[in-house]
Amino acid sequence: MSDRVVIDADALGKVFDASGQKSVTALHDINLTVRAGEFVSLLGPSGCGKSTLLRVMADLTSPTSGRIEVNGKNPEQARTSRDYGMVFQQPGLFDWRSVLGNVELPLQLAGVAKSERRSRAREMLELVRLSDFARHFPWQLSGGMQQRVAIARALTGSPKLLFMDEPLGALDEMNREYLQGELLRIWDSTKTTIVFVTHSVAEAVFLSNRVVIMSPRPGQVATTVDVDLPAPRTAEVRTAPEFYDTVTEVRTALHAVLAGEEAVA
Amino acid sequence: MTATTDTGPRRAPAVAPWLVRHVVPAVAAPVVILALWQALVRGFNVESFVLPAPTEIGAALAANLTTILAASVVTVQAVLLGLLTGVAGGVTVALLLARFRSISAPVLTVAVIVNCAPIVALAPIFNNWLGTASIASKAGVAAIMVFFPVLVNTARGLLDISPLHLEVMASMAATPRQVALRARLPHALPYLFNGVKLGATLSVIGVIVSEYFGGLANALGVYIAQMAALPRYAEAWAGILVAAALGLALFGAINLLERLLMPWHATVRSTAD
Repeated sequence: MSDRVVIDADALGKVFDASGQKSVTALHDINLTVRAGEFVSLLGPSGCGKSTLLRVMADLTSPTSGRIEVNGKNPEQARTSRDYGMVFQQPGLFDWRSVLGNVELPLQLAGVAKSERRSRAREMLELVRLSDFARHFPWQLSGGMQQRVAIARALTGSPKLLFMDEPLGALDEMNREYLQGELLRIWDSTKTTIVFVTHSVAEAVFLSNRVVIMSPRPGQVATTVDVDLPAPRTAEVRTAPEFYDTVTEVRTALHAVLAGEEAVA
Repeated sequence: MTATTDTGPRRAPAVAPWLVRHVVPAVAAPVVILALWQALVRGFNVESFVLPAPTEIGAALAANLTTILAASVVTVQAVLLGLLTGVAGGVTVALLLARFRSISAPVLTVAVIVNCAPIVALAPIFNNWLGTASIASKAGVAAIMVFFPVLVNTARGLLDISPLHLEVMASMAATPRQVALRARLPHALPYLFNGVKLGATLSVIGVIVSEYFGGLANALGVYIAQMAALPRYAEAWAGILVAAALGLALFGAINLLERLLMPWHATVRSTAD
């Protein structure tokens, strides 16, 4: 981990202006810094703006106030210069492309020569352990395998930054835990900075260096919990006392957020 | 189902039930209909000018086979030219609509209204514009008939792509052109093929009906109209039979092309299993 700042949000705000109706403040005064090599989770109840914050970083929506830099650029420049890879809640694979064709798509769009993007895509499939399925089509794979293809696709362009919007949310418990382990292994081997949105406390603690807890209406950063667990984080970590301690710490912070919410309402 | 597989030959257990379920009914239905037709015409002594018996039509077809096939060649050329022009036009306009969304609603509204007009009624006008004997006047009518279903279906497919896929493309910094060619168009292919299948039958109708209003002496529509006027109804029916076969063959060819081009698509996959 270095000191280089990858994400720098300063007094960031986002108001959805539902014309004719009450406008909704999705993000309010967000100050957040993510450094190179970090694994940061955005955690909070639904409606807390965690996905919106990620989408602002990825330039899929724009902020209405404040300032944000991604790799020292504005989000649009970062997106168009392919600084990040993104994994969504659904795999979002293209049905008419083989698994290999899906994984090489980012390089194809970037104009990389066929032989080069092929071999790069094969490397990525190896990384997510799907080499045997290169010629398959998405509909022939299970949901978990499809999501691994989506992860491989996001990594093909060797981005230094990975945005993940509840990527494991639609999977069953066993698949999710397996992919969490895979994700840590990939993170370790690629040294990518990861910003990860989730609503699972255990998932956030198991994966992250830092858990950013957000509170809803308006969406803002409530508190941040540093996670200090031994590396490498194997499945045994899930049963370690330190893991439970951190989970409890995060859960307490989250409950404080929810209690505050109820007090306001 | 278990019973049928058990009684079938052990080497190819899937083939026999498949034959019974799919091929036998498809072959049996026309045979039964032709037999009924023959029996009714003969049994009630129906006059040949009202409805010839299938055997009469068959004999007329055999006797005039070279004439009818030569006529079919002329007609098929016009049908293919009309179909290709109509598909090219429909897809091009649909791509423009997907690119410039603000014009899509007014253009599609006009397209639906024009599509409700009987376009074959334009056939004499096209003969006047482009020449009665020219292939362009026949293909032109067919092209206009093909244009609308292809446009409406393709536009629907291009616009129907999920927001998720658009965001995936945006996250990969895809240009508008790449979004159109790499995401929207492949997604719209099944819709496009629906339009082309509708268009294929329309294109045959358009050309044959245009030929009723005059055309090269050796075109299929002209042949049918002349035989009916003489009157030699068995020959006219033989021409109609070939025209129907043309439409069917074209439809089949497009179906085959669809399967080859879209092995991923659900309608193809389920039957391939």
